Parts: sequence; structure tokens; C-alpha cells
Amino acid sequence: MSWWIQLLACGVAAASFSVLLHQPRSTILVSSVVSILGYSVFLLLKQSTLAYFLASLLIGLCCELAARLMKRVATLFVTGAIIPLVPGIGLYRTMRFVVDGEYSRAVQTGAATLLGICGIAMAITISSVLFSAFWRQNAKKRGASC
Amino acid sequence: MDSIITTLDAVCLASQLILENGGETYRAEETVERMCQGLGIPGVDVLALPTGLMLTLTLEEDKTISRIVRVHSRSTDLNRIDECNDISRKVAAGQMTAAEALNALREIKRPRKDKRALLIAASAVTAASFTVMLGGGWTEFGVSFFCGALVQWVLTPLGKMKVPPLISSMIAGALTTLLALLGTMVVDNVNIEPVISGAIMPLLPGLATTNAMRDTIRGDLVSGGARLGEAILSVMMLAAGIGLMLSMWGGGLK
Repeated sequence: MSWWIQLLACGVAAASFSVLLHQPRSTILVSSVVSILGYSVFLLLKQSTLAYFLASLLIGLCCELAARLMKRVATLFVTGAIIPLVPGIGLYRTMRFVVDGEYSRAVQTGAATLLGICGIAMAITISSVLFSAFWRQNAKKRGASC
Repeated sequence: MDSIITTLDAVCLASQLILENGGETYRAEETVERMCQGLGIPGVDVLALPTGLMLTLTLEEDKTISRIVRVHSRSTDLNRIDECNDISRKVAAGQMTAAEALNALREIKRPRKDKRALLIAASAVTAASFTVMLGGGWTEFGVSFFCGALVQWVLTPLGKMKVPPLISSMIAGALTTLLALLGTMVVDNVNIEPVISGAIMPLLPGLATTNAMRDTIRGDLVSGGARLGEAILSVMMLAAGIGLMLSMWGGGLK
């Protein structure tokens, strides 16, 4: 499959997952576009642990920005947008190795999967903390609050 | 001026709704504080946990009123969080009284008719698209589409029967794997890896993990730890379901 089909699938998946989570309609498109952006960064960085972190950071920042602009809660955008990065394939491979009795490979894959998840969670947290610290200073001038 | 009980009801209901529908604990606490500010309550102390909520309102010098709210079920409904947030913002800005807010919040809490067909379709499309994203071809797309639809079809009644979420996580993992393995018998040349990993993507506790980290980093250690434990357990149950089915299949189920 060529890269553009993968990215298209990523966007469709993020959008339909948003429907599954009862996301408000007006926010679904944003989630989908942001997820494509994040996933292309992830692919460009060769799917390393750092790629998980940087791609999630990009997604987090975009979603926080969108939340401020549309005056919505950032969680609405992040939940749908981040899901393509979650390492489901790593989890499956870990389980496969466990079942086959290849424990050293299972531990190796499992650790990489865990690091990926930690990277995602850290990035989302950092983007939200950074944004709220930075935005609060400007909010008084604009009279907006989020 | 609203009666104090109405105020208390409205505030409790708002934060309870946020906790029940997948909101962060700090958001529940912030909502209470913001609403109380808008309603002119001089002092408020609130502690929100994933499983409950305690708050004390200080009315005058030596007059306080407290309430504990238990949160029994937790699921994800972002639309409700959005609506709650909208109401709390209006209350904070003084555009809504406590009684109006209470009515609006009761409207949100009322169980909605789930469009079941839409959810099943969304689940099928999600699973199938993730399969393609993870390197599957059109055959894998088809198999995964069925997996996603059937898993959602089974999960909804399980939720209604009040099966604990951890158990349904395991059932979902096992069911996905079984369906994918059956798919390899029906259709030739199915690569099972993208099918299973694509189909379990919607079942992974992505929101819970990020919420857990966020709570921990903000200093809500109890909520963060509790949520992290929940997320890890739910991944392990999912993995156990997959592993169980894989080993049963390898061990002669075929």
C-alpha cells in the first residue's frame, strides 16, 4: 500500500473513531486532519520512540490551539486525533511472542510498546500544561478563558 | 437568589457527569470552582476522584454544607462533556442561574437513544481503516470490517448487562482474534497481523492513559495512579484475550 492510502486510512479511522466516542460533529474534521498530520510526522521519523513523542507533541499542540480557537475542551480533539499513534501492532506482536514462547523477543517488543505509550502520554501532557501556562497570560488581555 | 440546595445539586451533577463520561478529574474540580464563583458562593473545597467526588461549600463564617457523590460507571461520551462545559461556562459568566443549569444538566444526563447501527458502522470502518493504515490490503480490510462490526455488536449488550469493563475488554480481545482466525479459513492469503492489531485499536484505553499521565503531572496523584492502574489492567485483559485465543487456536481448536 502506498503512503497516501495509509494516510487517507488514518484520517478515516480517526474520524470514525470520533463518531464512536460521540464526539460533537463540528470537531470531527479537525481531529481527522490533525491525526493525518501527526501520523505523517510519525512515518517520516521512521516510527521510533522519539517519533511517538514528537508526533504526539505536534498533535497535542494543534488540538490545544484548535480548542482555544473554537472554545471547546481540548480533550474532544485529542482523543480522536491521537488514536492512530497508539501502538496496537506492538501489543499484538508481544502477545504473539508470548504465545510462541519467545520470551526475550516478547519482552523486547513489549518494552518498545510501553515506551511508545509513555511517549504519547508525556507529549500530550506537556502540550496541555505548556499551553495552559502560556495562554493564561494572554487570556486576561483577550477576556477569554478555557 | 437560588436556594443553596439547588446550587449544590447543579454543581454536583455537572462534575458527576464529567467524571462519568471520561473527563479528567481536574476538569471536574475546576467546573465546581468556576460554577460556584459564578453563583456567588464565597468558599468551596472540592476533591474529585475517578470513583467519586467530595465537596464542601462555605456559605458564611460558620456555616458549611458538604456532599459526597459516588461515580459508579465510567464510559466515554465526549458530547456530554462538551455540553457540561458549555453550561458551566455560562454559569461562571453569570448568564445562567443554578435552577436553569440544573434543568439543562438533567437534560444531558437523560439516557439517549444510541444509534446502534451508526455505532456498529463506525466501529467497522475504524477497524478496517486501521488495518489498511498498518499495512493491510483489501482482503484484510474486508475481514477487519467484519471484526469491528461484530465486536461492537457484542459489546453494546454486554455494557447493558453491566458486565465489568475489564471482562468485556478480555471478551473483545478474544472475539477479535477468533474472528480474524476464522477469516483466514474462509478467505485465502489473509495476513492476520494487521487485521488483529487494527481491530483492537478502538479497544485500547488511549484516553485513560493520557488522562492518567495528565492527572499525575498536575499533582492529582491518587486519581493518576488509579487511572493508570485501570488502563494497565484493561490492556492486560485485552492482551490476555488475544493470547488465550491464539494459544487455543494453535493448540488444536483449528
